[in-house]
Amino acid sequence: MNPSIKLLLLFIIALEISFTMIISLNITLVILAMIYLLAHRTKLRTIGWLLIVPLLPAIGLWSTQYINGSGNKTLMAWVLFTRIYAFVFTGATFTLTTNILQLADALEQNWHLPSKFAYGVLAAYNLVPKIQHEVQIIRTAGLMRGQQLSFWSPKLYFKAILVSINWSQNLAQAMTSHGFVEDAPRTHYRHSVLCWQDWAILIIGVGLLQVGIFLVPWV
Amino acid sequence: MKWAKAWRLSDIILIALIGIFFGAIFMGTNYVYDVLTAVLAPVGLSGLANELLLGLWCMPGMLAGYMLRLKGSATLGELLAATVEMFFGGQWGISTLISGVTQGFGAELGYIVTRYKHYDWLGLTASALTTTIVTFGWDLARNGYFKLQLWLLILYFVVRFCSMFLFGGVLTRLITDLLDRSHVLKSTHTN
Repeated sequence: MNPSIKLLLLFIIALEISFTMIISLNITLVILAMIYLLAHRTKLRTIGWLLIVPLLPAIGLWSTQYINGSGNKTLMAWVLFTRIYAFVFTGATFTLTTNILQLADALEQNWHLPSKFAYGVLAAYNLVPKIQHEVQIIRTAGLMRGQQLSFWSPKLYFKAILVSINWSQNLAQAMTSHGFVEDAPRTHYRHSVLCWQDWAILIIGVGLLQVGIFLVPWV
Repeated sequence: MKWAKAWRLSDIILIALIGIFFGAIFMGTNYVYDVLTAVLAPVGLSGLANELLLGLWCMPGMLAGYMLRLKGSATLGELLAATVEMFFGGQWGISTLISGVTQGFGAELGYIVTRYKHYDWLGLTASALTTTIVTFGWDLARNGYFKLQLWLLILYFVVRFCSMFLFGGVLTRLITDLLDRSHVLKSTHTN
C-alpha cells in the first residue's frame, strides 16, 4: 500500500477518535491493528511492549478523569484509557511496517514535495545514531571540565546546535558534490506507485470508520 | 509553494538535525515524566507531568522560528522533529505527528501575529502564549480536558504557559544569545 495514503488514513482515524467517546470503537481499532500487525509478522514481544509502554500515561489519564472529572467520570476515564491504546496500535501499523525512506519517496513522487525537503530530512535522519553518540560526547566533555550539562543548560543545546550547523553544511556540500541540484527535476531509481487500490482502501477505510462512529449501536 | 523557495538544502538539514539533537536530549527526561506521572496519578493530577515538561517538547519549534527567521520555520522545525520521533523509538505513532503540527503551528502563530518582525521578548512571549493556547485547545479534545473541573483546567493552563515561557522563551533566548555571541549564525540569520 502507498505509504502516504496509509498515513492519511491513519491520520484521519487518529483525528476522529480524538473527538468521539466510544470505548468499544477504540477497542475494535486496537484489535484490528493487532490483527494487521500479526499478519505482517510482528514479533509478539513487540506487541507486548506496545501494551506495556502506554500503561503509565493511560493510568494517569484514567485517574485524572476518575478523580477530577465532571459528568460521567467512569465513561470518560475508560474512553481516554482505550483511546491511548488506539493511538499507539493504529500508529504502530504504520511505523512498524513502513520506513521513512518509503514515506519520503511517496511524498516526493506522488505529492510533489520538493526533493530538497525529502532528501534533506533523510540525510539528517540517517545521522540519528551518530547524534545520540554526539550528545554523550558533549556531556562527557562538559564533565571533564567539571560542568554538569543537564537538559536545562543552554550550553548543552548551544553545543548541539554548533554541531548541527557544521554537519548540515557538510552534508549539503556532500549532496551537491554528488550531483544533487535543488529545485531541479530528478529521475527516480525507486518508484513509488499510487494506484486506484490505494484510493479504494482509503475511501472504504474512512467509510467504515463513519459507520463505526455514527451507525453501529455500540453497547 | 512560494515559501519553499526561501529554504536552502542546508537550512532543511540544519532544522532536522536540531530537532533530532533535541529529541536525543529529551530522551534523558523521560524518567522525570515517568516518576512525576507515577507520583501524581493516585491523586488524579498526572496531567501536571505533561504540563510541566510540554514547554521542553515544544522548544524545537519555537527555537527554529526564532533562529532561522524564515516563514514556516517554527512549524517545519517541530514537524520534522515529530516525524523523526515517530519513526525512531516513538511509540505514540501518528498522534506524535498531529501533536507536532499543533505545537509547530502554535509557535508559528506567535511569529505570525507579530508579523515576523519581533525577534525579541515580545515575539517569544507571543509564541509561548499561542503555543499554549493552540496545544491546550487540542488537549481539550484529545486528552479529554473539556471534562475536567474548572480549577484544574486553569491550573493546567497556567502551568503549561509557565513551562512554555521558561523553556521556549527564556531557554531559547539564552541559547540564541550564546549563538549570537559566537557569530556562527551570520550565514542564515539575516534572512
